[in-house]
Amino acid sequence: MSLFRIFINQDDDDMATSKKVITREEWEKKLNAVKLRKEDMNTLVMNFLVTEGYVEAADKFQRESGTKPEIDLATITDRMAVKKAVQNGNVEDAIEKVNDLNPEILDTNPELFFHLQQQRLIELIRQGKTEEALEFAQEELAPRGEENQAFLQELEKTVALLVFEDASNCPVKDLLDISHRLKTASEVNAAILTSQSHEKDPKLPSLLKMLVWAQNQLDEKAVYPHINDLSTGQLQDPSE
Amino acid sequence: MTETSSSAAAVNRGDPISQFLDKIRLSSSAATRNTNTMMEEDNEESPTELNTINSAGGFLIVSPDKLSVKYTNTNLHGYDVGVAQANRPAPFKGLTYYFEIFVKDAGVKGNVAIGFTKEGFIMRRQPGWEVNSCGYHGDNGHIYRGKGTGEAFGPTYTTGDTVGAGIDYASQEFFFTKNGAFVGKIPKDIKGHLFPTVGVHSQNEEVSVNFGKKKFVFDVQGYETSVRNKQQMAIENISIPPNIGYGLVKTYLLHYGYEETLDAFNLATKTTVPPIVIAQDNAMDEDDSSYDLHQRKTLRKLVRNGDIDAALANLQDWYPQIVQDDKSVVCFLLHCQKFIELVRVGKLAEGVKYGRLELAKFVGLTKFQDIIEDCFALLVYPKPEESPVGYFLEDSQRELVADAVNAAVLSNKKDVCHLHSRLELLLRQLTVCCLERRSMNGDQGETFRLHHVLNNNSTRR
Repeated sequence: MSLFRIFINQDDDDMATSKKVITREEWEKKLNAVKLRKEDMNTLVMNFLVTEGYVEAADKFQRESGTKPEIDLATITDRMAVKKAVQNGNVEDAIEKVNDLNPEILDTNPELFFHLQQQRLIELIRQGKTEEALEFAQEELAPRGEENQAFLQELEKTVALLVFEDASNCPVKDLLDISHRLKTASEVNAAILTSQSHEKDPKLPSLLKMLVWAQNQLDEKAVYPHINDLSTGQLQDPSE
Repeated sequence: MTETSSSAAAVNRGDPISQFLDKIRLSSSAATRNTNTMMEEDNEESPTELNTINSAGGFLIVSPDKLSVKYTNTNLHGYDVGVAQANRPAPFKGLTYYFEIFVKDAGVKGNVAIGFTKEGFIMRRQPGWEVNSCGYHGDNGHIYRGKGTGEAFGPTYTTGDTVGAGIDYASQEFFFTKNGAFVGKIPKDIKGHLFPTVGVHSQNEEVSVNFGKKKFVFDVQGYETSVRNKQQMAIENISIPPNIGYGLVKTYLLHYGYEETLDAFNLATKTTVPPIVIAQDNAMDEDDSSYDLHQRKTLRKLVRNGDIDAALANLQDWYPQIVQDDKSVVCFLLHCQKFIELVRVGKLAEGVKYGRLELAKFVGLTKFQDIIEDCFALLVYPKPEESPVGYFLEDSQRELVADAVNAAVLSNKKDVCHLHSRLELLLRQLTVCCLERRSMNGDQGETFRLHHVLNNNSTRR
């Protein structure tokens, strides 16, 4: 009698901790029951094209799908021109373009302005224009470094590039890397988007992260078919 | 590979194009319920006052405004507690629920308690003393959750203190506050509706309740924001393969036949500095969604321009099997659309004639009955675009018919079973995961709606 009870209790414990199992068939029924609006998916795609700056594609998409872009497409062209200028190392040109677009962007973002000036200094060093670089550092960057400790450290790091004959041996050689240009470019891109009251990142990657998160959360309570490969969206049985 | 075909078989049971009829019904119901639907869904009734009928009569007096209670008895034992529940249970479709009490007078012993109880709670017992209830007690600062003995939890509270009790539906926890400061939280293991509850148990104890009519002492909005931000941070910290969005956008454009957009996008991504590397480019070539892209694009364009005759003629030329059955869903949608286009340009007589010729054969088929009636209703209104069936004249209806034609062409190809684009598969999975998790929390907390995420910038603060 007592043994029997123990068994029963164990069973109960198992029931309490075991996860709900949802079969593939049940799951697919749920998937098919989801009411997704085509307009919402189109909006999501448009948001991606606009935020990533694909103005031609956004324009075509508006025509082909009737989806309205959330901001004036002309502003994308301007934004991309600034981004491209930084990517190509034409920082002076980029600063001018940003100010044409909206002078408040640099006025209200001292950090961004400093990073652009720093990038300009890097470009001068890259071109071997040592004297010009020094002059620029002293006149334009040093005063900002006095105001801000972090800027000063950045400035010192950058000027260190000049000390090394062969920059490839320099401990701060990363500054000369193309990736640093891209970093500055995406910083200015984000600032322009923010100034247009637009989010700086597209929503699609966030939703994909949210999918991974939601699956992780549900894993604690249930066993069900997963999507493990985001690029194909293929459903995998729980046993796999 | 068996993987795909088996899943597709499950999805494709019946005519896959039929789903587009349901989509029309969806716009129809959205139109009749109009824009209030969203509001309705989110606006639950909240507690506003104390329940005077179901309170522990004899031991306490509820004030006329029903927002404060006073213990008038001299307590003798554990079964003469003065308890009052709110008039309604806490709403549960939000991220949190919260209310506060103010201790006007801690009375002789300061046996004040705040917490949550279920509907059938014994009104002579402190919240937390009985199962399925919980309470934070002022005399010792202990938390009680269903047992006679409490656990050390927070500070005591007395005359002049404001104490709050809340439910965090996302984490399924109760939380408590004192004088605007967070005290602590405990797991919520009680299911179902919960009533905000206050208990008093010694002479002259007097407590007033604030269900949100007055500003709370605790910054509950700030708390919600921090809960949201914490979740958002957890999500943002998840790493996904780089540039994965690019591949999904491309397959989406392919799937729906947005050829010109795709060309522009492809051209741009190739010239981007640095070039965008899309890992799944190879996988995409194997995908059947590139099938007859150009034809699908042409058909989409014709439908979107309202040139239904040309779309039908092209279908007849390229895919006679699709239009062979003149009572098929695609044929129905296209003929309806032609009728709609005639109404749009005011050619009502021609519309009637066309209806008799092409749409009469669908009358009496249950599958189409309701839609065809709604469609004909366009003739009744002098300003059809402003009528309850005005959704037929919206751009989304053309898009819908174009999508149906696109799906028909795709499913026409042997073994092509991609009813949904990859992006759509992912969004469906996301939605079901969120729904399922919510249903396991007793359907409590916020619902995931793509539409809200897309239209609400505040979710990403």
